[in-house]
Amino acid sequence: MKLKIGISGINAVDNPGPGVGVAKSIKEDKELSAKIVGLSYDAMEPGNYMKWIIDKSYILPYPSADHNTYLNRLYYIRENYGLDFVMPVLDAELPLYLKYQKELEKNGIKTFLPTLEQFKLREKDKLEEVAKNIGIETPKSEVVNSYDELVKAVEKLGLPVMVKGVFYKAYRAYTVQEAVSFFNKIVAEWGYPVILQQVVSGEEMNVVAAGDGEGNSLGMIAIKKMWITELGKIWTGITIKNDNLLNSAKRFIEVYGWKGAFELECIVDLNNNKIYLIEINPRFPAWSYFSTGVGVNIASNIVRKAFDLPVKEYRDYPAGKLYIRYTDDFVVGIETFQKLITLGEN
Amino acid sequence: MNRLHQLAINDEGFIFDPLTGENFTVNRTGLFIINRLKEGKKEEEILQELIDEFNVSREVAERDLIDFLEKLKSYRII
Repeated sequence: MKLKIGISGINAVDNPGPGVGVAKSIKEDKELSAKIVGLSYDAMEPGNYMKWIIDKSYILPYPSADHNTYLNRLYYIRENYGLDFVMPVLDAELPLYLKYQKELEKNGIKTFLPTLEQFKLREKDKLEEVAKNIGIETPKSEVVNSYDELVKAVEKLGLPVMVKGVFYKAYRAYTVQEAVSFFNKIVAEWGYPVILQQVVSGEEMNVVAAGDGEGNSLGMIAIKKMWITELGKIWTGITIKNDNLLNSAKRFIEVYGWKGAFELECIVDLNNNKIYLIEINPRFPAWSYFSTGVGVNIASNIVRKAFDLPVKEYRDYPAGKLYIRYTDDFVVGIETFQKLITLGEN
Repeated sequence: MNRLHQLAINDEGFIFDPLTGENFTVNRTGLFIINRLKEGKKEEEILQELIDEFNVSREVAERDLIDFLEKLKSYRII
């Protein structure tokens, strides 16, 4: 089966999108022998030039613009090159794909995504309920929209406190003044509301996994970040075996019948035997190739499930494997760039 | 929580805890003690083996052993 699989987020930059890792994973499943179609939003996205991973690239209109234009672009790709499946990996495009997943399928483009209801579970005000339903906890938090609410929330939660944007950015404030300054910073960049969250003790540990939509796991691993960049992105990590954490992810899949990839960000407090759910990302994280590297190819299993191909059952993985991200560079002619600029494809 | 039994320990004294992702390094004496703890030996047995192996007085061996055990407790390894 020669599938043509579209993958977004091929911006392998200092704040990397998840696309290249997902593409690598799918390429490594030789039985799929898939061709990867890079779905990019800028000619400069490095994935457009990584021919050994991305076979063909297209520039897409932004998903925030007219939805028909976006869908028509996908249909154009399907007609002219082939596009059997799309794996969207960016937060900003997920609502569009969720809304139109049935329409895309009718037009010959499969996806493997959660329902809109499931997608809403990732909202910060749902975390407490989700955590409770999967047997873990969540730090207390307050949504604030003004200076007054901020001060009241700090009084309630105590210091230090985490000051977070709804989608991006999180700072630890030790004083009210610091909290105000971070609040202003987030509002200036991302707008309202801002979330204040209790600081809990423990170590951050994350799970990448996927559910098949019927309560079963398509693979999962747990990791700890050992070294992060100034933007908070993993640069070195290690696989861990924490049964409580992995069981929480399994319960998440079972309880909610989650379909597709997701990441759970948790704080694990071993001293008090508690796990706090910090965030649910309804997509692959940028480090998802880590799971493939330790023998758990979640991305290819998603594709297999979507096309009713035999799904691989992953029961175990080794702890103590290191993930190393590194920078590299290469040189290409200007032709690819020219084609992307003038034709929107290469 | 007793994390001792799940630790991966190599001959050079590098210790990896698969539950937390933490790693530690210990010297030869530490490695000697931790391996015997994993074998389920009691403090008194380990103390005697330390005296025999390293040819030190009971006082020195006891002090080192207690120090090391306290350290392991502080990291919640035992």
